Formats: sequence, structure tokens, C-alpha cells
Amino acid sequence: MTQHIQHLYEVLSKVDGYVYPNEIELNWSILIVLYPYITGLVAGAFILASLERIFKLHVLRPTYGIALLTALSFMLVATMPLVSHLGKPQRAYEIMVTPHLSSAMAIFGFVYLWYLMVVLLLEIWFDYRRDMIIWAGETTGLKRFLYRAFSLWSTDISPKAVALDNKLGYIVTIIGVPSAFLLHGYVGFIFGSIKANPWWSTVLMPVIFLFSAIVSGIALVMLVYIVITSIRKLKIDMPCVDTIASYLFYILLIDFVLEGLDQIHRIYIAEESFDVLHNLVFGRLFFTLFIMQGLIGTVIPLLTLGTLQFYKPKIQIRKAIYTVIAALILIGIFFMRWNVVIGGQLFSKSFYGYTSFKIGLIGTEGYLMAAFWLIVPFIILSFLLWLFPPWKKKEDDHEIQVG
Amino acid sequence: MPQHIKRLIGAFAVVIILFLVLQSFLRPTSFGKLGHYRADAIQENKMKALHFAGSDKCTKCHEEMKTDKEVGFHAQLQCEACHGPGLKHAMYADKFKDGELPDSLLLHKPGSRKECAVCHQLNAARVKIVFDTINNSMIKQIDPMKHNLVDKRNFAKLVCIECHNPHQP
Amino acid sequence: MNINKPNLSRRDFFKAGSIIVGGITVATALTPFDGLLFATEPPKGKGKWYGIGIDINKCIGCGNCAKACKLENNVPKDPFYFRSWVEQYTIKNDGSVLVESPNGGIDGFKQSVPDEEIFKSFFVPKMCNHCAKSPCVQVCPVGATFETPEGIVLVDENYCIGCRYCVQACPYGCRFINPEKGTAEKCTLCIHRLDKGMQPACFEMCPTEARIFGDLNDPGSKINYFLKNHTCMVIKPNLNTGSKLFYNALSPEVR
Repeated sequence: MTQHIQHLYEVLSKVDGYVYPNEIELNWSILIVLYPYITGLVAGAFILASLERIFKLHVLRPTYGIALLTALSFMLVATMPLVSHLGKPQRAYEIMVTPHLSSAMAIFGFVYLWYLMVVLLLEIWFDYRRDMIIWAGETTGLKRFLYRAFSLWSTDISPKAVALDNKLGYIVTIIGVPSAFLLHGYVGFIFGSIKANPWWSTVLMPVIFLFSAIVSGIALVMLVYIVITSIRKLKIDMPCVDTIASYLFYILLIDFVLEGLDQIHRIYIAEESFDVLHNLVFGRLFFTLFIMQGLIGTVIPLLTLGTLQFYKPKIQIRKAIYTVIAALILIGIFFMRWNVVIGGQLFSKSFYGYTSFKIGLIGTEGYLMAAFWLIVPFIILSFLLWLFPPWKKKEDDHEIQVG
Repeated sequence: MPQHIKRLIGAFAVVIILFLVLQSFLRPTSFGKLGHYRADAIQENKMKALHFAGSDKCTKCHEEMKTDKEVGFHAQLQCEACHGPGLKHAMYADKFKDGELPDSLLLHKPGSRKECAVCHQLNAARVKIVFDTINNSMIKQIDPMKHNLVDKRNFAKLVCIECHNPHQP
Repeated sequence: MNINKPNLSRRDFFKAGSIIVGGITVATALTPFDGLLFATEPPKGKGKWYGIGIDINKCIGCGNCAKACKLENNVPKDPFYFRSWVEQYTIKNDGSVLVESPNGGIDGFKQSVPDEEIFKSFFVPKMCNHCAKSPCVQVCPVGATFETPEGIVLVDENYCIGCRYCVQACPYGCRFINPEKGTAEKCTLCIHRLDKGMQPACFEMCPTEARIFGDLNDPGSKINYFLKNHTCMVIKPNLNTGSKLFYNALSPEVR
């Protein structure tokens, strides 16, 4: 408490110009940066999985299961940064009990549940049900129990039942794509709908969030796939990774154009808030916006991936490049969220000044907490990969049953 | 319908019913009576403790101050604006004899240069302000660092109320 | 079978595509649902509907309002938490604007610009605007902040989850999170005093009657007299918050 107050006095001494007294404290900190970041990873990973399923891009087959499990493991954690930053976390259930329909945040609870329960869990369930039943017969103990429980103690693995599973899974995927769009578009809307804040309030915000989400999700799945194959010492499926990289390139390009459009529009219409935002961008936000998000997260990956569309070096080199680029994009998108969330609070709504932001190592809003919520999904992912290894699935093509 | 689809639908039904049951249990009783909020919250906000008593309460005992103040420039000034919140004082003061009031019930008696300067310090935003439309009088402005300094080294000792009667300045 | 296959997959493609497009259309059609846009409406005809008037020409910047508010409502003393505060605007001869509010004006103001550089200077007391279309009420996910039938925006501190969304949504910076309670806090127009027939603390302690409040539905009320006889303006009218805090002599520099 007193430490917090001390911290605020320190911030007060760094205030530039005039900010409303209540604005000296930044209300949304690193945990709220993580929340759209993690949600975006979910949506992006899922959309990559659906590409294989809906548009029958079989070249992406090796990443289908990994993408789904990645989406699930991040989805399970997505709300945790949000809940742990609450002033009264024990009251979080109220969002589901008395949701205020005019609040973007309240509706997000339901969008989240819909996406988790109806889309992700169902798709994975239909995809793994037969395998779970088979694996239950091959294993013992806890693992066997988990397979049984997760398959709801069903036993029917007749070709007819499996065909039905595939068909329903396909339908779920089709519902899932707009749901994924909705999920992350909605996160953008949480910020874009705040008319009090000119840095957030743009109609493009949901679209920008969506495309940056797809970019980050694809980059994450690519990275996870490369890491898993090298850990398991398997031969990497290069056509698959090349295809993912080309998607990554095109969507990153769209994302870049959209964000550029947003900024050009902002500059051209130059509203009342223009001066304060201009100084923000070239002042307190310069490093995170131009260096981290712009150069490292966008320009370098775009140039590299663009070059790789025409010129293909040796597999080993390509693999290394992809690994680095995926990591850079993940860092870049993290700072994109940072620039939105933190940047939107660094200037005063009076447009007369700036406050400053510094986070500590510990505490509920510190680096350690943030790192914790970023590590947990990977722990869940390794558990899920252990329980539901996509590479041990009985291979079959989805389309046979669907067609 | 195959058995496993039935089970799946059953599992979803269980989850949804459980959710609805929990929701109806956890919903506060007064929620939604007047709008999307707990109607009881209005009453809870109304029950907060008071601290300022209002001048009417003050002048019940301190009648002479009322007549004193009425004719001066500070007529519009509320007692508690200078003396601080006095509800506790007003409630319990008559239970004590004169001069026996415990410190916790005593109100502040301002009069220093710093305290009066809150209103009377020379300030560009203040000079033109007419505070009394009837007499068309302006608020008096001084520089507390320079005003009426008998001894420049000792100016801090000259308290405003040594010369000015705060109730009739 | 072989001849049909490309047709089938193309049909599948269109089927998938149209379902996706349809899904997005439905999702977007649902979002701007009209009745959900604003939390409350002013009562039609009967009942009180509070409005506030502040006369900038009368404010001497004593900070009594800000001080009284803190004392009356047990607001944390540190200079980061205010339900009510005073700002001094100084417009210099070169056109630049300086805004100051040391400790919300509670300890008084010291003029920081020499007289000869000042074009004009004035004080602006700030407080919750008790908006009729409150952005803060609109965004509260659980209904822990709301407008009473009298038009006072309140926080239900026993129900607030402390998500801070309302703090972000308030264009006027009138909300904060109480560091001890972890819940949102704001001006209540001293509803606990109104309830006992008293004035809100900041109105009561104002030495120059620069602030008044009253029932906007009552044609004979003080606030209606004030609005009729002055050229009044709200802050940030472009945001359409339905602000019910009207300033006389508000300069365009005030934000």
C-alpha cells in the first residue's frame, strides 16, 4: 500500500504538463497488455487450424493438432491476467451473474465461454474422440481414466460414428472461424469503444486487433512446430512451414497496411487530440512503437519473409530464419498491445500533459506476475501434447468423410 | 442419435443448467428493481457518515458569531469553511462545560498568513473576481510575503488575525 | 465421381465461405443493439433530475470545495485521489496554455507566471458531470455503477469488481480506484447529505456561491435560473455524454 503510494509520488515527479490528478496512476498495467495478447494468440492459432480444415490446405496438416492444442492452452489462461488485476478478484463471477449488456467487457465473458466451450473444446473433442477411446485401451491408470472421462465414457468407434464426428467437427470449425473473428474483434472493441480516449477510439481497432491476432497466432504455431520437431528430432515438414510463412507474410502485410491507414487517417484529420498524440508517439512511446513494434516486429519480418517468397535458401538456414522471425513477430505484437494499452494511458484526457509508467519486478502488476501468465500456457500445452499427441493420432484425412 | 452425441448434449445441458442455477442463486435480491444495478446500493450510499454540520447548527450555540459575521465581508462564508468539519463538535459539545471540551472535539481556529492566503493571495485569476454582487465588492488581494511587514525579518510572526477580525475583516 | 469432385469441393468452398460471411454478418448485426447503447434516460416529466452549475467568474480558487469533499467523504489524502478538484488555467500572451492543480488546489494556488506574461487566468472547479448518458455506466460490466432515478451517478462499492474500465471510460478523469478498498470511487453529489436535506459539502463550503445545484425538472429551481441567465457550456460537448455539469464563462481551453 504505502509502497504503491510512494511509487505514485515518484510518478508525480515525472509528470510532464498537466494531467488530471486521478490520471497520475496508470489503471491498466502489464496484465491488461497480456490479456489481448494471449487472446490474440488463441484466435490466430485457431484460424491457422481452420485453414487446413475448411479450405483443405493439406500441406498444413502437420500443424493442425498443434495449432488447436496451442489455442486451447492459451485460451484456458486468457482471462487470468484480467481476473488477477481486479481490485476484487473474488467478485469476478458477477460478470457472468449480472452481465451488463451495454458493456463490452461483460459480453466478452460470454464470447469467451462460447468460444471455449462450443468451438475449441468441441472441435478438439470430435477430432480426438476416436483416438481417446483407442488410447484408453492401450494405457492404464490415470491416463486411461482421463481418456475415458474426456471421451464421456463413449465407446463407439465404428466408421459411421467417426464419420459423424468428422462432419460435426467440420461444422464446428465453420462456426469457429467467425467466432474467432468475433473473439478478437471484441477485444479490440473493448478499447475501440472508449470514446473518451482518442488513442483507442477508432473503428479500425477491432480489425487491427484481429489481424495482429492472426499474425501472432500463426507465428506462435510456427515457432511451436519448429521447436517440437527439433525436440523430438523429427524431420521438419518444410513445405508446411513455407506455406505458413507465406500466410504470415500476407497477413502481416495486411496488418501493417491497416495500422498505417489508421495512423494516416489520424494524421490527416488531425483532430483536437492530434498534438498530444503526436508528442506521445515521438516522446514516451517512441521506443516501443517505432523500434519494437515497427522495426523489430513489422519491417524486419516483412522484408525477410518477403525476400523468402522469391529466394529460398537451404532448409537449415530457412528454418533458422523462420524461428527468429516468428520470435520477432511475437515480440512485435506484444509491443503492439503495449502501445495500445499503456500508450492510451500515458497522455491526459485533458490533452495537456503526460504521466509516466514504470513497473516493478514483483507485486500483482509486476514483471514476474506477467511472466507467470505467459509461462503457464506453455506448461498446459506440454501437458496437452503429452495427453493428446497429434503425431500419434491414427492418420486420416478429414475430407474423405466430409465429401 | 448415436450414444456419444447424446452424452455430449447431456454434458452441455448439465453445464448450462448448473450455470443457470448458480446465476439465480448468486444474483443479489434487489438487483434489477430500478435498473441494471442493486437498488439497495442507493440506500447504502445514503447511509454514509456526515462530517460537516452546516452553519445553522453552529449558530444555534454561537449566536453572537452570526450577528457579528452578518455585516462583514465574510457574511457568505460558512463557519466550517475555515473551522473544518464540525458535526462531531456540534453533537457533543453541549455535553461539556465551558473550557472542558476535549481536544478531539475542538475545532481549528485559523488565522495565519498561509491559511488566509488560500483565498487572499494575490493571483491573476483572482483579482477581478466579484464575490458579492449586491455590494459589487471585489475580493481583497495581498501578497502575504510583502503585506504590512513591520519587521522584514520577523514577518512570520505577524498573524493576519492580529489586525483583522476574521468574522468582520 | 471423378468428374463431380471438383464441383463438390467448390460447392464446399462456397458453403464454407457463405457460412463464414453469414456468421460475421449476424455477429456484427447484433453488436449495435439500439436499446443497449445508453444506460439510462432522464425521467419523463415527473421526479427530480439533478443538474449542477458552476460559475467560473465567481470562483476564487480557494480549494475549499476540494478540501471539504475529501473530509466529508473520507477520500484518501494523497494527491492522486480526488472526487472534486480545482484547476488554474493561465493563458499567456504567446497563446500557450498552462494548467495547474497542485494537490487539487486544496493548499491554495501560487501564481507561477509573472503578471506581465499573462493574457488571462481563471480557475475551473472540476467534479463528476453526472452525465445522463454516462460512459462510465455504459461500460461497467456488472452494473456496479449506475444512475439513480434522480440522475446521480453512483458506485456500488459492495458490488464493484475493480476492473477499472469505468476509470478509462470517464472523459473527465473524475474516477479513481480507492487504494484500500480496491473499488471504483467517485462523487456521489453527497447523496447522504441530500437525503437529510443538506447541500453537498463542496456547495456548502464554497465562499462565493460559485457552485449551485438543483432540479432541472423544476422550472423555478436555482439551476434553471442559472442556466437561463448565463451562457452555459459543458466540457467536451463533442463526446455527447449528456453532461449535467454546466459552466458559465467556460473558455474553450478548458478540457
